[in-house]
Amino acid sequence: MTATVRPFGILKSYIDNQPERLVEPGRTVRQTMLDLGIPPDVVALVTVNDEQETKDYLIQEGDLVKLIAVVGGG
Amino acid sequence: MNGYGGSILRVNLTTGQITKQPTPPEVARDYIGGRGFGAYFLFKEVPKNAEPLGPENKLIISTGPLSGLMVPGAGKCDWTTKSPLTGGYASASMGGHFTAELKYAGIDSIILEGVSPKPVYLFIDDDKVQLLDATNLWGKGAFELEVDFKHKYGEEYQVAVIGPGGENMVLYACVNHDYGRQAGRGGVGAVMGSKKLKAIVLHGTKSVPVADLAGYRKAGMELYKACKDAEGLAEWTRYGTTIVTSWCDEVGALPTRNFQAGSFEGGKGIYGQTMRKEIVITDKGCFGCPCPCGKYSNMKRYNTQVEGPEYETIGLFGSNLGIGDIQAVAESNRLCDDLGIDTISAGVCIGWAMEAYEKGILTKADTDGLELKFGNIEATFAVVKKIAYREGKLGALLADGVKRASQKLGKGSEKFAIEVKGMEQSSYATHNATAMLLAYMTCDVGAHHNRSWAITYDLQVGRDKVVPEKVARVIWLQNFRPMFDVLGACRLQWVELGINRDLYVPLLEAITGLHRTWEDLEAVGNRIWNITRMYWVREIEGFGRAWDMPSRRFYEEPPKTGVTAGQITKYEDVIRLLDMYYEQRGWNTNGLPTADTLEKLGIASLVA
Repeated sequence: MTATVRPFGILKSYIDNQPERLVEPGRTVRQTMLDLGIPPDVVALVTVNDEQETKDYLIQEGDLVKLIAVVGGG
Repeated sequence: MNGYGGSILRVNLTTGQITKQPTPPEVARDYIGGRGFGAYFLFKEVPKNAEPLGPENKLIISTGPLSGLMVPGAGKCDWTTKSPLTGGYASASMGGHFTAELKYAGIDSIILEGVSPKPVYLFIDDDKVQLLDATNLWGKGAFELEVDFKHKYGEEYQVAVIGPGGENMVLYACVNHDYGRQAGRGGVGAVMGSKKLKAIVLHGTKSVPVADLAGYRKAGMELYKACKDAEGLAEWTRYGTTIVTSWCDEVGALPTRNFQAGSFEGGKGIYGQTMRKEIVITDKGCFGCPCPCGKYSNMKRYNTQVEGPEYETIGLFGSNLGIGDIQAVAESNRLCDDLGIDTISAGVCIGWAMEAYEKGILTKADTDGLELKFGNIEATFAVVKKIAYREGKLGALLADGVKRASQKLGKGSEKFAIEVKGMEQSSYATHNATAMLLAYMTCDVGAHHNRSWAITYDLQVGRDKVVPEKVARVIWLQNFRPMFDVLGACRLQWVELGINRDLYVPLLEAITGLHRTWEDLEAVGNRIWNITRMYWVREIEGFGRAWDMPSRRFYEEPPKTGVTAGQITKYEDVIRLLDMYYEQRGWNTNGLPTADTLEKLGIASLVA
């Protein structure tokens, strides 16, 4: 079993402009971002199965993790 | 004129005279609308050294060519005046549904002049325009009065109103509309109050001419489709601006205890997900918005409801006051809205007062007995009310803004007054984010975030780096982002959803019949930026570099806690930032636009 990480918008550039990556569960969102080469600081919002979570969330099997950057601010 | 209502409505509150004139085509060509109209009319019509709360000052309310049309978020209008808070330029952007009705009444700008001898409200129903007696309405809260007007005239009438804060001329009083949208910053509500104008009630039914109807429909639908198809639409709609609360906490940008730090140990209590779970009832959008960022909230503990809070209010009435309780933050938001004071400035003023109290500079003799410590929720509510009514020593002190308050109190409190040009800093701690710090330092109204939001660029490039690329980024954002306030549409579709801004180009052309690229629009933005800079130069004797300096806290006091603990921008880097900024802007070393720059921009004669 795996989990899915789906970066939005400009964050795709960190995973070769692919729409998503399959990852192994058991690591935090932050660790997984670093594994994928996505700088955690540029990610404003993390949702897991459509609920907002922190980057310290431990990814579970089957999770869909969405990563959203702030493009231009408030 | 395609894309325009076609007229400028001029209301002299001293004489009661109401006149309309055609919108000057050359002004529409050169300044387009919204904030551009405001800057032009302010500079041209308000005499030098006008008293901000006197009859010579004017309040200019302007739509843009996109306002009220089939454009995502085309519900923005600009409120420009000489600021009673700063003494310089003020421009506040308001969402909701007011601007669409204004446009449908055939009006591009309302110019309010003079001072009424008694409280009045302005009633507009297409070509019927009247000043009506508001003596019995004076003293009412914003929510109650908006409800009253809706009952009296009907739901289709849009209402903009001041609360007691505006009546009492709190220098950062706001204008309220749509039960939760504000023209918030710079004291536009105080100017309205000084004119004894309690409210504007309006309704319009006219068509807006467009140059190419088929092209307009096509380009409009494409822009809406891009929004609907955008990744992140569901998430942004779900959380709105509160998305950034946890992120700011994580990167050390969440103002905490009067900006003493950028991370808050109680942050989770005010994060977007906490708010969504605990208090949000439903979403609320402005005119034509496909991604409604507003949230209606129910505060069970207080048995009250409010639209909000937005991120800025969460930061400044939450972490900035040491309060990690979203219901309390939302209740503070409700009080500020109903009383008609800007949550950003109020939050900064109260944070400053709490720090002064904890340092022993303010005592209970100064606070009317309030235990004004960080985290005291009930004291916070009490201070908000005192400010709105200028009640007691504390209310009178804080109602004039943090700069004046700290100058009056002295005893070193000026050092932790968080402001630029006299305007309280909005909700981003900038101890170690040099581009964002520069954005605040050089913002045209004072320390506000919406012109240039550069903090992600700091994180991408290196937050303490001081390089020309950062300065260029700040300037580009300052020229570009406010153009949404000129066009009369919301920027958040670009900001949040990442919509390709080029989609606006054919839409604007189809509406106005004029082809303008974004480079053309940024040139207009640059022209407006320089006009407003010259307004400061004209109004403030000795205006220059010193007015662009940030709060000393950001270059003298590194945070002791949080992720930015020990980090700070060096004083010499603050100076370097300004040196580079002035050079790139074509200004002299004191921050004044050169004659050559003004000539190149085509505004030398206007600002002469």
